[in-house]
Amino acid sequence: MIEINGLTKIYKLSAKKKKELKTNKDVKTAVNDLSLTAKPGEITGLLGPNGAGKTTTMRCVATLLSPTKGDIKVCGYDTVKDAQKVRDSICFLTNEIKLDEHFTVDYLFTFFGRLKNLDEKTIEARKKELFDTFNMNDFKNKKIEELSTGMKQKASIVVNLVNDPEVVIFDEPTSGLDIVTARVVLDYLKKLRAEGKTVIVSTHIMPEAEKLCDKVAMIIGGRKVIEGTIPEVLEKTQTADLEDAFFKLFMENKESEKEEE
Amino acid sequence: MNKISLIIKKELFRVFSDRKLIFSLYILPVLIMFAIYGIMGKMIGSMEKDITEHTAIVTVVDATEELKSAIDFSGFSGNANINYIDSAAYETDKDTIVDNIKHGKADLCVIVPKNFDEQVEDYVNGGSTLPNLEVSFNDSENYSSQAYSMFTNSVLGTYKNQLLGKRYGDVRMLEAMSVTTVILTKDEQSNSQFMKMLLPYMVVLMLFAGVMSVGVDAIAGEKERGTLSSMLISPVKRSEIAIGKIVSMAILSSISAAVTTVSMLGAFVLMGSSGGFAAMSGGVSFSPLQIIELLLIMLSLVILYVGIIALIAVYSPNTKAASSIISPLYPLIIIMGMLTMFRTGKETPTIHYAVPVYGNALAISDICSNELSLLHFFISFACTLIIGIVITVLVTKAFNDEKLMFNA
Repeated sequence: MIEINGLTKIYKLSAKKKKELKTNKDVKTAVNDLSLTAKPGEITGLLGPNGAGKTTTMRCVATLLSPTKGDIKVCGYDTVKDAQKVRDSICFLTNEIKLDEHFTVDYLFTFFGRLKNLDEKTIEARKKELFDTFNMNDFKNKKIEELSTGMKQKASIVVNLVNDPEVVIFDEPTSGLDIVTARVVLDYLKKLRAEGKTVIVSTHIMPEAEKLCDKVAMIIGGRKVIEGTIPEVLEKTQTADLEDAFFKLFMENKESEKEEE
Repeated sequence: MNKISLIIKKELFRVFSDRKLIFSLYILPVLIMFAIYGIMGKMIGSMEKDITEHTAIVTVVDATEELKSAIDFSGFSGNANINYIDSAAYETDKDTIVDNIKHGKADLCVIVPKNFDEQVEDYVNGGSTLPNLEVSFNDSENYSSQAYSMFTNSVLGTYKNQLLGKRYGDVRMLEAMSVTTVILTKDEQSNSQFMKMLLPYMVVLMLFAGVMSVGVDAIAGEKERGTLSSMLISPVKRSEIAIGKIVSMAILSSISAAVTTVSMLGAFVLMGSSGGFAAMSGGVSFSPLQIIELLLIMLSLVILYVGIIALIAVYSPNTKAASSIISPLYPLIIIMGMLTMFRTGKETPTIHYAVPVYGNALAISDICSNELSLLHFFISFACTLIIGIVITVLVTKAFNDEKLMFNA
């Protein structure tokens, strides 16, 4: 279970950042008063354009960033006060976090298994299960640097799932993957849902979200603009599909953002 | 502790399973040391041999019979091609002779005054003019300098003794006294001066180079590649990750420094055996207590260096930024190490031993001459260790900073 209550994340902007963002403001509000609940046995999707605040929200859930305001609870533990316990029960997958290219998949799987307090027997059992599921057996003794982009992504997923976490946080799950690997990953996420895990994914690919997610929350400009099951979202927005719903909300909020400025 | 050792093992495996890294960290420095100093030793040796074996080309103008016999008697003629000419011939060929010496085609020209024997006779009988020989050579040419040195020391020494012997019967009559020189060195000071000068410099520099080569990549490199984050989202305390990184950096850099220092000493021995540098490497011995002191000082230095490099690496967004901050430290360390080379006999103030790096270099220098007091050892060791630990604590705290870790 993930409970996000009034999450606000404000970054102080350095002179260099101000120049990059072409702004005179000293701070940037990446996420603004966002509340959301992701339940076990459900796949929750965070939808929004690039820079909307999806990744920042996920980083906060994964304990990598501390909220400026609000709090987040994962499996009942606060992400700031009980960060260690939160990390024990989550798996955070993102393109920004990479595996050391020098090691083999097998070595890293064992290393992270040990780091996550697993005994050798459990590590071996998880290794067999995950390597079989993701067809990694032929590549397990290859160094990460020798793998293709898709294989690297799969290796990263496999290694991060070593501890069979209760909560899976996945930033852009199919980004950079070929169609076959993307299918394997999406099927595995569905399997995790069936096992009663809490899964939260971020994506800007609306058809993917439609197929995968039980519930979605759309974030635009750091704010949550809608939340609900897909039929609920379509009904509220009076649209035929998620993509139309997103564009409708995007245009509305773009106007209101301009008015605020 | 278990997780720290896991991280240490991973970091060590990372290096020791990478042939390229092993080669660049541990094998290449040894090869470079042996190549540089081995070649230098060989070249110096062969240069010295070549100079000694060279047949000097010498012109002697109006040589007296006694000078000729001194040249033969001293053995100088055995390795010289001597052209005896008279002053008339010299006047004709003067320009050529001088020019040949200037251009390295000839080595020496000795001009004896025509009436040299009469001048000697006159001086004995109260004459005021001291007989004078003119010796010309080219001090920018090794062969010419060697010929001059051999001629003045052996030939003229022999010739002078011959003339004085004739004059006074026994040359020893001219000596007012004889001097016996006894070199008194404390047994415990027997470590060579060379070691005292070079070891502190080598240790402070090599340790820094070792830490620098592994430290920047271990933190800034991993941050840049995004591989550090995979550990930061694991259920491990950030302080455990930092300590694991720091300890492995210390182990790797200590091995690197030890390999480099030992190979440098080995190269010196090699250089000594092939050239005139045997004295440099000789006479080195340390007691068990001195070895312990040396190792403890090196340990405190490693902790300090690792702390500094790790702190810079953790505050830098990438390896390029970290390297550009660390580079100016390199000459500073060199200067600290070199300062101990030029110490006089004056006692060094105790407070100097408290200065990190410089104080350690002083202590190592004193170990080499067996003059390190327990107080100075303790001050040097403790001050560096405390500063190193404080910096290490700052590094572990920085691992908790989201701005530094994720450029947030």
